[in-house]
Amino acid sequence: MIERIILKNVLPAVFAGAENEPPVCDSQVWLQDVTFERGRHYLVEAESGTGKSSLCSFLYGNRSDYSGSIMFNDSDISRYGIDEWCDVRRHALAILPQEMRLFPELTAMENIMIKNRLTHHHSAEHIMGMLTALELGHKADVPAGHLSVGQQQRVAIVRALCQPFDFILLDEPVSHLDARNNVAVAELILTESVAQGAGIIATSVGNNISITPDKVLML
Amino acid sequence: MKNKRIVWLLLRRNISAGQIAGYALANFIGLAIVLCAIQFYRDISAAWDSDGDSYITRDYMIISKEVSSLNTLGFGASTTFSKDEVEEISRQPWAMRVGEFSSSDFNVYASIELGGRGMSTYLFFESIPDEFFDVKPDGWFFDPENPVIPIILSKDYLALYNFGFAASRGMPQLSEGLISKVPLRIRMGNNGNYETYSARIVGFSSRLNTIAVPAGFLEWANARYAPGETHEPSRIMVEVNRPGDPAISEFLYSHGYESAGDKAESGKASFFLTLVTGIVIAVGAVISLLAFFILMLSIYLLLQKNRRKLHDLMLLGYSPMQVSRYYYALVGAVNTAVLLLAVATMLSASYWWSTRLDAIEVHSSGIWLTVIVGTVMMLLVTAGNFAAIYSTVKRNFRN
Repeated sequence: MIERIILKNVLPAVFAGAENEPPVCDSQVWLQDVTFERGRHYLVEAESGTGKSSLCSFLYGNRSDYSGSIMFNDSDISRYGIDEWCDVRRHALAILPQEMRLFPELTAMENIMIKNRLTHHHSAEHIMGMLTALELGHKADVPAGHLSVGQQQRVAIVRALCQPFDFILLDEPVSHLDARNNVAVAELILTESVAQGAGIIATSVGNNISITPDKVLML
Repeated sequence: MKNKRIVWLLLRRNISAGQIAGYALANFIGLAIVLCAIQFYRDISAAWDSDGDSYITRDYMIISKEVSSLNTLGFGASTTFSKDEVEEISRQPWAMRVGEFSSSDFNVYASIELGGRGMSTYLFFESIPDEFFDVKPDGWFFDPENPVIPIILSKDYLALYNFGFAASRGMPQLSEGLISKVPLRIRMGNNGNYETYSARIVGFSSRLNTIAVPAGFLEWANARYAPGETHEPSRIMVEVNRPGDPAISEFLYSHGYESAGDKAESGKASFFLTLVTGIVIAVGAVISLLAFFILMLSIYLLLQKNRRKLHDLMLLGYSPMQVSRYYYALVGAVNTAVLLLAVATMLSASYWWSTRLDAIEVHSSGIWLTVIVGTVMMLLVTAGNFAAIYSTVKRNFRN
């Protein structure tokens, strides 16, 4: 179980040499010591190009082009092997990537089941209920490639929730959603996170998810 | 919804049926050639273990030294083999067993009564250790208390008599069975000490080109009629393990030896068959190897095309093994089909030639060894495929 995610002096490689220039010098994350605690809600606000997707990728083990160290509890994630990451991604860390990463040739439901069959976290009925709550019940059997970007974003959110997690990383979760769906999505994520006692780390470039953060960090 | 099929639905895209079919065909051809060659070689060489006149058999060679004009005049090097020379021959890698010919050191005079007409001739006896005989007739021993000399004759001598001598002189032709019943009288001795014995021809050899008596008898007779004389053998019989091996003729040539043997020609045929089979198996193996690389290339291309999907599956928490096993299933199914087809082809081909080989009394040696060889080859190929798939998938899983 991941109780704390700790960033120590982390800087993306792309900013190396620009430590004293914006955005790094103004950042509350880069080159700082930051701790995210399980059960709390964080909003990382950023302008475009400040490295918020990089932050999510670093935390998810998808990229490692940074200096400094990132710890899950007391262990440095740079030492994790493939097996450990597989385990973390199934049982401890959920992610909603900004670009969604759905498989366009699979239907909305198949895109969700491809995750759920790994974790067996929800029943098919529960998943259908979540899709319906996000007004997507009638799109379950439509290939993801035929859905609008907003619809894809909601499918990707349901998929992200199909696993046990200690933290959920939401990279611009509502960038393509209207106000009504923003509320519906926020409710779904909050319900699931609270039930699991999980922490939420959401990024935003202005269109914030309707979850009140315990802490706001400027990237 | 069939959840298990979702990943396969995703990954099976981009699989090129043409490439897989090309691989399967090439691998099938290669494997079928290898298996057919192995089975053919085994069927043909099944005759090795059978007795009698097989077409390919262990080869026995009789080695002697070249007789020159100088030898005729009483000069020149000895035509007998010294102990060192015999040892040198037995040290050669192709020589499995070496036997020395011993010869009689006394005079032998044989007479025979056939249909009222007598025939007599001077003779000689030779002997060789019993295990070198291709025939093992009854009564192949000599008892000084009850002395009857058993004799094995070369088949060639009987043929010479029947088709040369008897035909031209109006003498009766003789069968092997009949001649064994004809009583022979042997008068032998030295320096005025002569005795007469009865003798019997107990068998005919196609391997030994001589008049052979049991080694025990010759020892006894040499001690009795020519005491004190020791003779080096003038002929050596060698059982060779690789009939027709060029190393043998090189050795004989460099030492000035000559060879004679009943299977010299078939020995060459056997060597040739081994060589040709080796070449055919190598060609089949090369085709299989190329097919293996076709599949590898195809897998690399496929995984390359699916790189993003593999990466996304990784982000969902799939392990390299969970993804690889779909490709394992594909490759395993194709390889199994190829193996079954190749074995079926080998069986059909084996059936085709065995009906023809039966006509010359060569019978199939069983298919299991060939099937096992094919299975092992396919397992190795499959293991190589699996290892390549796993490492490629894993590489795609890295950041």
